[in-house]
Amino acid sequence: MTAPFFKYGFFGEDISLVVAFAIGIGFGFFLERAGFNSAKKLAAQFYFKDLTVFKVMFTAIVTAMLGVYYLSVFGVMDLGLVYLTPTFLLPEIIGGFILGIGFVVGGYCPGTACVGAATGRIDALVLFVGIFAGVFGFNEFYPLLKGLYLATPMGQLTLPQVTGLPYGFIVFAVVLMALGGFWGAEWVEKKMAARKVEASS
Amino acid sequence: MTDMIRSLTLNARLALTAFVLGFVALFAGNPYKGAAATLNTKELAITMATNADQISVTTVADWIIQGRSDFRVVDLRPAAAFAEYHIPPAENIPVTELGGSNLGRNEKIILYSESGARDAQAWMLLRAKGYRGAYVLHGGLEAWKDSILFPRVPANATPAQLVDFARIKDVSKYFGGSPQAGAGDSTTTAVVMPKLAMPTPSATPAAGAPKKKKKEGC
Repeated sequence: MTAPFFKYGFFGEDISLVVAFAIGIGFGFFLERAGFNSAKKLAAQFYFKDLTVFKVMFTAIVTAMLGVYYLSVFGVMDLGLVYLTPTFLLPEIIGGFILGIGFVVGGYCPGTACVGAATGRIDALVLFVGIFAGVFGFNEFYPLLKGLYLATPMGQLTLPQVTGLPYGFIVFAVVLMALGGFWGAEWVEKKMAARKVEASS
Repeated sequence: MTDMIRSLTLNARLALTAFVLGFVALFAGNPYKGAAATLNTKELAITMATNADQISVTTVADWIIQGRSDFRVVDLRPAAAFAEYHIPPAENIPVTELGGSNLGRNEKIILYSESGARDAQAWMLLRAKGYRGAYVLHGGLEAWKDSILFPRVPANATPAQLVDFARIKDVSKYFGGSPQAGAGDSTTTAVVMPKLAMPTPSATPAAGAPKKKKKEGC
């Protein structure tokens, strides 16, 4: 059997929805276990007091990258069939800012808002309603936003393509970046904790 | 060495694992499959022996008339021949470009060329690359002309053959063909290839038009 299973026709569209549901529940479960159902924990990220979000997300990226890389090298998976979201640079930068501002103000990102709402947090529920209001608004104003939405299309890009460096080198570089990031995050957390002690004493 | 690893925290052990895997990746090569392909010769042999790789022209004609859109017809002939005539929903993809085309491995792909040699080779190429839904149009375009566009009824036809012919006549007309009623084998009347602007069922995409890409992602 070769992955991706859907592209090879091992199951159809209906089963794929069931699979997506199971993966979604799994994703939510681990977000909850990381403590991401609390807006306080998530917002602490922006004050450099608690960089768990950064660490969890970068761990997920590195784990997925190593998994996808080695599965493909061993021929269990056909990487050429994995869908890549096309890059639209300008709208992605703007969208990133909007998401970031919403994250700081609301204390949740879309995924964690679902987790928070599922665990019964009212602030998360409000944000959850906000997400759908935003989606609805975007769709209503789509004719106006279409120009920006489709601006600067760059196609499906990967780092090895853009840099021209070998794939394995990029894998190693990202791992080093993550390890350096984890080390830096712990260092910053300790620094901030020390400052807190100084301030309170 | 084992003592050293045992003394590490779980986080440090995971970090070490990631580092080692990342380092090995430097030498493990490219994960993308190149032009190389693997063949399950036994599976292919069984497929060929049971004719599971073939699809008849009448089946395809019926599908087109029904407006089904769950299959793609690929014309492997040169562009000039394609421009002259092709089966209505067909798209023109030369053999050399099959690997880089936008055909999906989960799609039903029907290959045809003039008489069935090229398409069998192309079928092998696609199957080797993991296209499980590749089929060969049995008899190629020749069979399409003989059975769909210009069907003939034998001079001493049995009643069953006549019933078949009555049915195929409608199919033939749909594709702009001209059934050769009652014509014997010796009388080869000059047959005119139908114009390309033949009635195409609205459900099937126009020839060569890029297939609508399904949106994926988060």
